[in-house]
Parts: sequence; structure tokens; C-alpha cells
Amino acid sequence: MTSGPFAFLRTTSFRLALIYALLFAVFSAGLMGYLFQATVGSLRTEAKSQLEAELRALAVAYNTGGKERLEPAQRERALVRVRNFTYQFETGAGRKIVGDMAEMPVTPPADPGDVDAVTFEIEGRRPTGEVSIIPIEGRIVRLSNQSVLLVGIEMSDRLAVVGKINQAIIIAAPIGMILALIGGFFTSRYAARRAEALSETSVAVMAGDLSQRVPVIGSNDEFDRLASTVNAMLTKIETLMSATRHAGDAIAHDLRSPLSRLRNRLEESLRGPMDEMTARDTLGETVEEVDQVLATFNAILNLSRVRSTGEEHLQKLNVSELCADVADLFEPACEEAGLSFEAHIKPDLYAKADQALLAQALSNLVDNAIKYTPRGGAIALNVETADKDITITVSDTGPGIPESDRERVKGRFVRLDDARTQAGSGLGLALVEAVANLHGGQLELDESALGASGLKASLSL
Amino acid sequence: MRVLVIEDDLEQSGFIKNVLTGAGHDVVTAENGEAGLEEARGGYFDALVVDRMLPRKPGLKLVQEFRDSGGTTPALFLSALSDVDNRVEGLQAGADDYLAKPFAPEELIARVEALGRRQVSNEPPVTKLKVGDLEMDLLSRNVTRGDTKIDLQPREFKLLEYLMRHAGQTVTRTMLLEGVWNYHFDPQTNVIDVHISRLRAKIDKEFDKQLLQTVRGAGYCLTA
Repeated sequence: MTSGPFAFLRTTSFRLALIYALLFAVFSAGLMGYLFQATVGSLRTEAKSQLEAELRALAVAYNTGGKERLEPAQRERALVRVRNFTYQFETGAGRKIVGDMAEMPVTPPADPGDVDAVTFEIEGRRPTGEVSIIPIEGRIVRLSNQSVLLVGIEMSDRLAVVGKINQAIIIAAPIGMILALIGGFFTSRYAARRAEALSETSVAVMAGDLSQRVPVIGSNDEFDRLASTVNAMLTKIETLMSATRHAGDAIAHDLRSPLSRLRNRLEESLRGPMDEMTARDTLGETVEEVDQVLATFNAILNLSRVRSTGEEHLQKLNVSELCADVADLFEPACEEAGLSFEAHIKPDLYAKADQALLAQALSNLVDNAIKYTPRGGAIALNVETADKDITITVSDTGPGIPESDRERVKGRFVRLDDARTQAGSGLGLALVEAVANLHGGQLELDESALGASGLKASLSL
Repeated sequence: MRVLVIEDDLEQSGFIKNVLTGAGHDVVTAENGEAGLEEARGGYFDALVVDRMLPRKPGLKLVQEFRDSGGTTPALFLSALSDVDNRVEGLQAGADDYLAKPFAPEELIARVEALGRRQVSNEPPVTKLKVGDLEMDLLSRNVTRGDTKIDLQPREFKLLEYLMRHAGQTVTRTMLLEGVWNYHFDPQTNVIDVHISRLRAKIDKEFDKQLLQTVRGAGYCLTA
């Protein structure tokens, strides 16, 4: 069993979290390296091409107009400080002609036409007012008349971006690692706890408490799905167990009393005077009573069989046709009983169902309706769909079942007082409910739509 | 009819023998599966009544082997296993009918007699059924009695067809529910009686001779 404060270290999900954290670190290091290269590299390339373009433009200005053309062009540019360029122009002897600086900060190349790439620093004033050292990247060229031209571009803004990226990488990488580890820790602790809950429930169920369920916390993840599945399984097991126990109880309680009655009757007639007429009567009654006992017995068996039947038995069939057949079977009997019968069946509704059981359940409902509805009344059979559910409703105009008794009559052998005179095993509605449950639906009893006191029994599949 | 009853419970087999003998049939009994199979292969019988749980050879196997070796005698399974699935198993093994224990004597008689009938009538393909002056054409689905044409609902037609195919013999309500509606349960309301009386109103009401008789305590019989 996993327990103790460091149990999570031994869980699969913690190990996975650790592996993920390492992978994350390697991956982010790679990504950031690439990012760094890409940004810094492209900044430098861009600066270089700008510099060279500027230098070319100035050289062209000088070549076509000499110093007189170059000077105004440069002066104009220096005035507006186009794109942070810095200029310095001096004679071959090293005298400043025009420029942003007091003197040439770097040594010019010796021969005319040579261009040198240089870096230097100048003191500059930021827009905020503070004075700072600004790194400059520049090109210096000696022109044909030996004069020297320097063009520089400020790198400070660009380098600041690079610095920020560097800083972000340095801060983010450890934070990412720590977050990954913390995530792994919580994930693994969560998984360990959920597994533990499952294991605890199983132990309790094995110990005999079938009502225990694995907590479903609504996270809707695989643990919740597993918990739901296990719970559904436990519910099924509980149902089967209780069905078995109920069948046993039913046989014990409900067959013992009619059998005792039967025995008493035979005993009594053995003691009394025995002429052929009374003997025949007694035997006739006895056979009837035995038949009743057998019918009850069959109903009990049938009921427990239905309760333990699995859904895998169900086959796709035309429920509308099945209902129409039952309607067809009972329609004349309704008429005979002085009841009007109407069937409204939506055609061609298919569902996975057990043909025999569904027909029997529906027959039980119609049977009940015929038995309890007084002459002159009405019975209706409706088959409809709502969403994907098929609802089969049998309504009548009989006395109905008081609301307080509706749950009770679904149980075994529950017969309301005024029904005791009617033949029946008292298992009819219990069977209907079991069949409905088998089909993933339920039996609902309600007031009839046909009359204030009638009964409406709906089977949802 | 000559009937072979294969049943290991002597009391039960004695009861079956009495019931069938009482209805005018000759009954031979066998007490286990092997003896029963030998007897069935050896003697000429009109019907076999086979218990499902037999010593030495279970009923299902017995019927299967009997069919595999070319035996055509119709067979009826008797069984305490009365589930629809059990019934299907029985019929797949080669039996012609299936009756759950316990059963009413009339039910057994009616079913055994229906079996004997089946063997005789399964040779030529029938397209017309005739009972007295009542005629049914299975192809055109016309029903006439004498010169009168009778209009029947589809279900009434099936019901009458079943009765005519079993003309002269008693047909129980359960047999009708199974044969016409394919239901293997017993509705508590007497649904069959009402269907019969509707049918009777159509085929008998206007005529002097009543063809469809009620057999008290058993069922119905259509006879000329």
C-alpha cells in the first residue's frame, strides 16, 4: 500500500512528472538558444546593412559633388539624427570638418577606398535626460582626397532587447523547472489519493459493505470515469445480491403460508367424514390452490431471472411493432370488459430490447388496467419518443393508486386492499419495473391524463 | 397414437402414461436417456415425450442424436426449465414443442396430439385448408364458408389458420398464444377467449352448424 508523506515518490505519475520536467528543461534550453541566436544575429545583420547603405549614400554624394554636396547632406542628416546615425568627417590631416563628436574616436584606414568596421562608445543623452555611455557600431572610410568619413549606428536599444531576452531566459528556466516539479508533485499526490480511495472502497466492499461507493469528485477525468464504472459495477453486484436474497426471502415467506394453508385444508378433510362429493370438492380446490402456488413460484423465479439478466441479452427490435402486437392482443378483451381502448403508437421506433420480457411487461400493465378500470372507462396505450428515450404509457380511468402508495406497489407482493379480491401474484408491477430497469429505464406511476383518478404507468427505455 | 415417454421420475412417467392412455393413446415408457434413444430408434412411434434431465444421456443430446441419425418422429420436451432461452435450446436440438413442468393434463394431451398431426400433414405443401364447408386459400388469403365470403383481420386469419391446421383436435389457449402471437407467458385476462368469440361471430354466427367448439377446461376445437 502507498502511504506516508513520501508515498508520492513511488508513484508512476510522479516519475512521469520528473521526466516531463527534464524534457521541458532540455526543450526550453534549445528553444531559447535558438531564439537568442535568431534575434541577436538578425539585429546585427540589420544594423550592418543600414550602415553600409548610409555609407554608400554619403560616398555617392561626395563623389558627385565633392565636399560641398556631402557637407549639407550630412549636416541635414545629423540635424534630424536619422535612425540614430552618428557622423564624423575630417580632412586627411585630421582636422574636423563637420561631425557629432569632438574628434575622430578611431584610427582611420591608411589607404583611400578602404573601409574598416569599428566599434566605439560615445557619451549620449537619453530622452529621459540622464547621460550614459552609448555603444556605437560604425564604418570608417578614407575617401579619394584622403579625407575621412565615419558613420556609426547606436546599438544601445538593440543590445537592450538582447539583454532582456537573456534575462528572461535566466529567470524563466528555473521557474519553469520548479513549476514542472510542483505540478508533478500535485499530480502524483492527486493520483495517489484517488487510487487510494478506490482501493479503500474495494476493501470495504470485500468486507461485506456493498453500499460503499468510490467518490466521484466531478473532475470528469479518467479517475472519475474509472470511479463511475466501478460504482456501476458495484450497483449491479448489489442489485444481483439483493435479488438473490429477495428471491430466497420470497420463497421462504410467501410460499410457506399458502402451502401451510393447503396442508391444513387436506389435514382437515382427512379428519372429517369423507363422502365422494366433499372429497372431490376439496381436491378441486386443492388443485386450484396448488396452481396458484406454482404461479407465484414461477413469478418469483421469473422476477429474479429478469433482475439478474444482463443487457447483453438485448437485441435491436422494432418496439412500435411489439407494442402494436400487444395492443392487438388486448383490444378485444378491453371491449369485452366494456372499456374503450385507444393505441397511439409512433411507428418504427427501434431499441435494444428483450422481445419476450418487454411484451410481458406491457401485458402486465394492460392486464392491470383492464382489471381495475370499471366498465364504461377507457384505456390508452401511447408510445412516444423524447430525445433518445422511448416512453410507453398505459393510462386508464380506474381508481388509480394514491400517491403515497405508488412506490410501495412496485415492491414484491404488495397489493392494495381493494385489489385483494382480484386474482394475481402481486408481482406484476415488480416485474414491469425489473424489465424497465433491464432496458435502462424505469417505471413511473402517475395520475392518468385520461381522468383525475386514473393511473398512468410509463416505461422509459 | 403410439407415444414413447422418456422420463426417469417414475411417478411423473406414471402420471403421463395415465393421462395419455386416458385420452386413448398407447404409451411405452423408458427410464433413462440411452434406453430411450434405443427404443425411439427401434420401435415405430407417432410422438416422443422427452424429459430434459435424464440419467445417462440428457434429453437435449438424446433428441440431437436421434435427429442426426435420421429420426423424424416429432418430439416434445418436458422440462422444469421454462425460460425462453431453455425453450429455444430445446427447439434447436430438434424438438418440435416444449412444455414446462408442471402442466395441466389437457395441455399435454393437446400438444402430443398436435405433434402426431404434424407428421402426417408436413408432406405435401398445403395451399388450401378445408374444414367442413369452411375453406381457406393460403395464397389468395380468401376465406369462404359455403358461398359466403368471410372478411378477416390479419390476426384473425392467423388464428383461424392455426385452428384449421389443427382441425379435429383440441387446441389450448397457451398453444394459441404461442402459435399465433408467439408469446410464452400467460396474460391473466382471458384475452384468447375474446379473440375466439370474435372469430366465432364471423365464421359460425350466420350458420346452422357450429364448427368452432369450446372444450371445457382445455381449450378449443375446430371440427366439421
